[in-house]
Amino acid sequence: MNEIKTIIQKVRLANRTALLEHEAKIVLKEMGINVPPSILAHDAEEAVKAADSFGYPIVMKLMSQDVLHKTDAKAVIVDLKTSDDIRHTFQDFMHRFENVKIEGVLVEKMVDKGIELIIGTNTDDDFGPVILFGIGGVLVEAIKDVVFRMCPTTKEQSLEAINEIKAKVLLEGFRGLPTVDKDALADLIVQLSKLAWEYKDDILEMDINPVIANSSGLYPVDARIILK
Amino acid sequence: MTTKLEKYFNAKSFCVVGASTTPNKPGNVVAYNFVNYFPGKTYLVNPKGGKLFDTKLYKSVLEIEDQIDAACIIVPAKYAPQTLEQCGQKGVKNVIITTGGFSEAGEEGLELQKQMLNIMKQYQINVIGPNCLGLYSPALGYDTMFLPASKLKRPSAGPVSIFTQSGAFGAAFIDQLSRLGSGKWVSKFVSYGNASDINESDALEYVGGDPDTKMVLIYLEDFKDGRRFMEKAREISLKKPIMGIKANRTVTGAKAGASHTAALSSDDVIVDDLLDDAGIIRVITWDQLEDCVLAFGTQPLPLGDRVAIVTDGGGAGVMASDMVSDCNLKLAQFSADVQIKLDQTFPSFYATGNPVDITGSATAEDYRIALEAAYNDPQVDSVVNICIPVIPDLDIQEYIAITKEIAHRKEKPFVTSLVGGEEADFATSELLEEDIPVFSSPGRAVRALGMLTDYTKYLKKRGIDPHTIMVEE
Repeated sequence: MNEIKTIIQKVRLANRTALLEHEAKIVLKEMGINVPPSILAHDAEEAVKAADSFGYPIVMKLMSQDVLHKTDAKAVIVDLKTSDDIRHTFQDFMHRFENVKIEGVLVEKMVDKGIELIIGTNTDDDFGPVILFGIGGVLVEAIKDVVFRMCPTTKEQSLEAINEIKAKVLLEGFRGLPTVDKDALADLIVQLSKLAWEYKDDILEMDINPVIANSSGLYPVDARIILK
Repeated sequence: MTTKLEKYFNAKSFCVVGASTTPNKPGNVVAYNFVNYFPGKTYLVNPKGGKLFDTKLYKSVLEIEDQIDAACIIVPAKYAPQTLEQCGQKGVKNVIITTGGFSEAGEEGLELQKQMLNIMKQYQINVIGPNCLGLYSPALGYDTMFLPASKLKRPSAGPVSIFTQSGAFGAAFIDQLSRLGSGKWVSKFVSYGNASDINESDALEYVGGDPDTKMVLIYLEDFKDGRRFMEKAREISLKKPIMGIKANRTVTGAKAGASHTAALSSDDVIVDDLLDDAGIIRVITWDQLEDCVLAFGTQPLPLGDRVAIVTDGGGAGVMASDMVSDCNLKLAQFSADVQIKLDQTFPSFYATGNPVDITGSATAEDYRIALEAAYNDPQVDSVVNICIPVIPDLDIQEYIAITKEIAHRKEKPFVTSLVGGEEADFATSELLEEDIPVFSSPGRAVRALGMLTDYTKYLKKRGIDPHTIMVEE
């Protein structure tokens, strides 16, 4: 738990309200949430060494408080297959973002394709911390297939929420898609709701989008935490 | 723990501050209500002194020697703070302030409400209101509704407790219930107005624990204590149904935020999901509230979602069937012996599936056979009885008698829809007089079943046998 407080403090000292992705993922890990293996690399060789140890393919993401919309800024490069790719991407980042303050480059094992889900929390004026679950990905705001619960939520409530989305069939082995482990998903919802509840004085909102559900499990691929 | 509202309803002495000698003025009506119906001691206060309804008018609360358990303040807003202060000095701990002109009425009113809040804190007074109708309970002879009975008719004692943020809604709905069926509906009515102290969560907590409240009906526009409300509702909805309107659905959209979650957090989407999670049956329109009272107040809960429809009109049957699927219900498949009986009894041009369409040739006897068969079938959880009485061979008196006979068994939900003109109206009022639920369209009748069945589904999901929940008398 101390690690979470330390990160929050560090972010506040830097006059930021948004945690960078690598910080958000440390917070999730501290709550017992499994995230894909990653490290924050500060030079190309460190990045290559990590990539070699995780195994390919690899995703690289620029960690900078000046680049929060990473995809729009082409600061996320996926499907890197060799150590040359890693080196080249690292240099490319340094070149393209030479004018921004860089914390490092997140080198992360790439998760196999699957169903993209979202779990998030927000602070409601009437109800305090609330948690959302639904169909995630880039279309999340267009599809709006989501369900809310109050934090902290129980496992039962979370299972009910999972079964309440309109596209529930997508989770149940729809046309060759993997069957989502609803039990593990409910645990993940409970864990995130616990985080929102225990840190309700600090955390304003969170997104894990997407959580990728593939045949081997559930993986929070991108995470965003915004402080009050 | 004694809830705040219990202290009001359990009062043995009550004081009307601002009792007016002018007929039909609010202070006159409330004084009349308490002098005539309240079984405890009633004290009236009017600075002029004298007498009203053969009862002494004290010039001030402070002149009264006995203890006062609860009081209603009906004085103009600008005098309310000093009146409340006197109540505080007198040691009155439970006060209803019906007068308007406070936080709902601009700067000056807001200032007055702030003054009152300070006095409330200083003397530890519980307050209902301001700007409300206060409390009504026919069984307890408790009535601070300041509108005269000649205008606002009072329903008699029954299973439904109601709480409302809007006084005007409350007045209209109370008046409506007075002429719905037998008019025996209301257990407790709470209109809390500006909720300066007692709010929706206090009201819910009280009616939840009140043994005379069998069902809870709410009208809310916003929450003062939303988290507590949802937590209480989750517990109470396992023991008695809670239903109603949360209006104000469209005013605020999602606020811009840095996350997708914030962007998706429109107020009403959250409210809707949380109400559902708390087991509250949400309705949207006013007419559905009356349907709620008729359905939950008179019918047992169904054990499942299988519906049988009996009709003399094809179109009405089709529309009812559509509503069956809209409400997530199913058309029942009759048991083999029931199906054989229907097939053998009725002429070949009657449709003997579900809906059973006994056509324009139907007689009252045909209704009896079809309704009995459907009602007695263990594969049917609830029955819809549709009648378009214009057909030539139907004896309406006989039809009414058959409907009454089955309706009074109360083994499973049984709803009726009569569509047409004079004869339909006649039959409707005959049946409603005995609190047999009749609806003005087949869709409304099925929708009422849908609400009952939704509650059954909710209870089952929480592992509760719907038969342990008794609402209807």
